Amino acid sequence: MGNAVNHYLRPDVTPGPDVVPSFDPMLGFESRKERVMIATQEEMESVKLPLEDRDYCAHKLIAYQACRSDKFPFVYQCAHEKHAYLTCEYEDYVLRMKEFERERRLLERQKRLNKAA
Amino acid sequence: MSAFVKSVCLAQKLCAANPALARQAVRSMAGWNKDYKPAPFPKTEKEREAAAKKYYLLPEEYKPYADDGLGYGDYPKVGGGLGVENKDSYYPWDYPEHKRNLHEPISADHDLYSEDRYSQAEQPRYSTSYYVWCFVGVMSGCLALYYWLEDKKMYRPVAAKQYPAAGVKHYTFEK
Repeated sequence: MGNAVNHYLRPDVTPGPDVVPSFDPMLGFESRKERVMIATQEEMESVKLPLEDRDYCAHKLIAYQACRSDKFPFVYQCAHEKHAYLTCEYEDYVLRMKEFERERRLLERQKRLNKAA
Repeated sequence: MSAFVKSVCLAQKLCAANPALARQAVRSMAGWNKDYKPAPFPKTEKEREAAAKKYYLLPEEYKPYADDGLGYGDYPKVGGGLGVENKDSYYPWDYPEHKRNLHEPISADHDLYSEDRYSQAEQPRYSTSYYVWCFVGVMSGCLALYYWLEDKKMYRPVAAKQYPAAGVKHYTFEK
């Protein structure tokens, strides 16, 4: 958890916990693929999905829960759906880590530019 | 009332039929809690000496509780102080489990002083103020650490979780 120590020692170039990226998302990119939300609001409401699960993986969670209720008690048959959902969540987490690192590097770049100017 | 009268009549008839029954009934009444009740507070010197003898004490050792309505009649004020735990474990007591000798009067509050109750039989190692300052020092040290570290949280290096919302665009790192 070196980031916590860095956040104390160098707070100007270390983003805090759960940082919301402050720079232009297209900075340094020619083009960037937009994330697509597949599950609709009506679908999520009809399955009473908790608010914290209404992320970009919601459609996979809905498929997994539907499979569970169809196949119960033989829920091992939903291993594929479960794996797909957990992989989606993992990739979402990796994306968050990348966003944090991008924010940190851009903060350092900003500091460097400010010093040069 | 009629049931009571009938019971008394039945008891009379049974006693008349078998006198041993009455004797057995009287014997069974021995050892009631009324038999443990102390006698009234001794007023004269003669009564005092009789009471002291009754409790196996010397007349000069015999000190009954004050007769103010909250006392214990002629029961002597003995024991107290440090509990039974403080008595010598190696003395050859007549009742070693209670550390008590034969006919030794016990405190009226014996249940407070027996060995299954808390008592401080030994002097503590340090003074009370030392213990208080140790407690205050540890507690204030913990509190100081707590408040100093309040804005210095451990966290994982991740950005906020992205939730789709109207007017918000999120991007992957792919082209």
